Amino acid sequence: MSAREPAWMDVSTLTTTTFGHRDLGWWGTLGFVVIEGMTLFICAMSYFYLRRNFALWPPGHTQLPGLTAPAIQCALMLLSWWPVRLADKAARQLDLAALRRWMIVMTLFGFAFCLLRWFEFQALHTRWDSDAYGSIVWLTLIFHTTLLVFEAGETATLTAMLHARPSERLFSDASDNALYWYFMTGVWIALAAMVYLVPLLRGVP
Amino acid sequence: MSGAVTPAVDAGGAREVQARLVAELDASWRDAPGLRGWLTTTDHKRIGRRYAATAFFFFLCGGVEAALMRLQLSRPENGFIGPDLYDRLFTTHGTTMMFLFAVPMMTAIGLYFVPLMVGARNVAYPRLNAFGYYTFLIGGLLLYVALFAGNGPADGWFSYVPLAGRDFSPDKGADVWSQTVTFTEIAGLIAAVEIIVTVFKCRAPGMSLARMPLFVWAMLVTSFMILFAMPWVATASMFLAMDRLINTHLFDPSGGGDALLWQHLFWFFGHPEVYIIFIPGLGMVSQIVGTFSRREVFGYPAIVLSMIATGILGFGLWVHHMFATGLPQMGASFFTAASAMITIPTGVQFFCWIATLWSGRPRLAVPLLFVLGFVATFLIGGLTGVMIASVPFDRQVHDTFFIVAHLHYVLIGGALFPLFGALHYWWPKLTGRLLDERLGRWQFWLFFIGVNVTFFPMHLLGLHGMPRRVYTYLAGTGWGGLNLLASIGAVTIAASVVVFLVAMWQSRRASAVAGSNPWDADSLEWATRSPPPYNFALVPVVTSRADSGPSPPANHPW
Repeated sequence: MSAREPAWMDVSTLTTTTFGHRDLGWWGTLGFVVIEGMTLFICAMSYFYLRRNFALWPPGHTQLPGLTAPAIQCALMLLSWWPVRLADKAARQLDLAALRRWMIVMTLFGFAFCLLRWFEFQALHTRWDSDAYGSIVWLTLIFHTTLLVFEAGETATLTAMLHARPSERLFSDASDNALYWYFMTGVWIALAAMVYLVPLLRGVP
Repeated sequence: MSGAVTPAVDAGGAREVQARLVAELDASWRDAPGLRGWLTTTDHKRIGRRYAATAFFFFLCGGVEAALMRLQLSRPENGFIGPDLYDRLFTTHGTTMMFLFAVPMMTAIGLYFVPLMVGARNVAYPRLNAFGYYTFLIGGLLLYVALFAGNGPADGWFSYVPLAGRDFSPDKGADVWSQTVTFTEIAGLIAAVEIIVTVFKCRAPGMSLARMPLFVWAMLVTSFMILFAMPWVATASMFLAMDRLINTHLFDPSGGGDALLWQHLFWFFGHPEVYIIFIPGLGMVSQIVGTFSRREVFGYPAIVLSMIATGILGFGLWVHHMFATGLPQMGASFFTAASAMITIPTGVQFFCWIATLWSGRPRLAVPLLFVLGFVATFLIGGLTGVMIASVPFDRQVHDTFFIVAHLHYVLIGGALFPLFGALHYWWPKLTGRLLDERLGRWQFWLFFIGVNVTFFPMHLLGLHGMPRRVYTYLAGTGWGGLNLLASIGAVTIAASVVVFLVAMWQSRRASAVAGSNPWDADSLEWATRSPPPYNFALVPVVTSRADSGPSPPANHPW
């Protein structure tokens, strides 16, 4: 046991706005990424587990999924990384005008993703209650759609706040938002390959 | 950190500065007045206490359910409880103890003490913390409102399909179960993120990972386990709800689904859940052993590495719950080996605690008594765990009372004994008052005897072939005597819990005022007042693993 009095530290001079791993919000975002990433990983595991039960995947009576909407969605998601990178850069440089501009572009991308998602559901060419194949592809899309809607809403709210009452804190929030955006779009490109391309291997479970 | 390190102050001018800072802190951290302040508090200590009180209330509910079941089984062909109510009771009992008591109680203790032990003023995300508590509360209330409305779940705490599917459980019980699980797992995930970020980012200057108290390490490992385990059951329970509510076919073989998928998803969470429940207990035991042996815990790095190893290995054992499903031989052998391997890190920790006690000057206060009870009880649970890791033996006793005995020895031994010890140990920090030592000894002995009298006979009942989850049995089976003995044990456990309730009630007024460090312990939570106002008025600088220093004087701002 120590016999001395503890020392104390004056931390009032430390900066209040930080970015990346120095920021608590970044760690919280990473926590969400892990949890939601696990959820989508479980969907993928279930997809391949259920696939073993079928001689044909998708089942014989089911039409192959369409590729147009998912291809456009994936291309749009990849394209969105450009404004996201610029928004992140503007946030780290505390450049409010540039950040506002790129956040508006991101918001438009977010709403476009949600709109395209409707067509991605149509492109599945099956219903959730047809069979296990339909169930797992629908649920994978539904789970990811909650992320899309959440992110579109958060980006729009953050953009509105940057215009209505900008504060230093919002710069690190915008930077954390970029991290989540990369996750949300990156994970979908992998899942889209599973949902829309794996069925093209029909008959090879 | 670029701030200047200044030694603790004794000059008059600096004391004035301290007094002003204390007043400002008090104003900053004070909750809003009235009911609004009570509901919207973000103080980790108030939320931690609230979590603990709610979880303890659910523990009492689960205990009442257990008592009713023991009453029913105390004699053969008893008509006290019918089969339907019995099904709902054992399901609600298991769900309560696992989802509404054990994990939330451990996270409650973590949410209260981790910030104090790392020298922080709050958890990383205080508002999210409050949200997590309310999510947990809603999940718990949902289960009990449904039970009293006659729609409680009746499919067991792991809600196996197809029993939990629409065809065999057409009422709303399984839906309630899945929603309760989703809510409580979201709360658990929130608490895990809170603790991980608090430990990684909010430690006081100088508190390196290698200087953290062992309980903080235990909560860190547990939180990582929660992060990777709980999404499985949360997702699986949503799958189940979808199968039941919108006709998906994930677990329905008629639509190409698979009932075994449920078991994989559930047990990939369910087995780590056991470690999620008892690794915090290992941390509590380490704190208590160190303090009451009056020396630093022997083998700190070995204990930390063992906890991490347990956390990792815990994810590789889930299939041993599924030996009876007809797995390939090679797979079963692998999981048998993995299940046996988990005993190695646990054994290392046991030897470290024994070495600490052996080389220290043990003081046999109530917290240490509970630790000794933990050692004995958990050891028996661990040994029967090795037995059922063997496929032939497991197939023999699968779904018998032997399994009931094993899981209660592990969970009560690994979680409840350390928890009661920790409550006696940290009660002075929580309330500013000591729990009565004499009542504590009564509580311990009643609990220790009660647990063994209740659960040891269940091993024999299982070996004699009594299946679990039957509401009654025939007189000719010869199981009556051992069942009566187990029921007498349950009464003894109930008496022990009543003694604990009396001790808690009595401590409000009659017990001795504790002071800030009544046990002469050496971790940072003891360096602030009891109960702590806003943790630490000044940011402490830590220079060694045992750094609480001497008990501060009454007017000291810490």
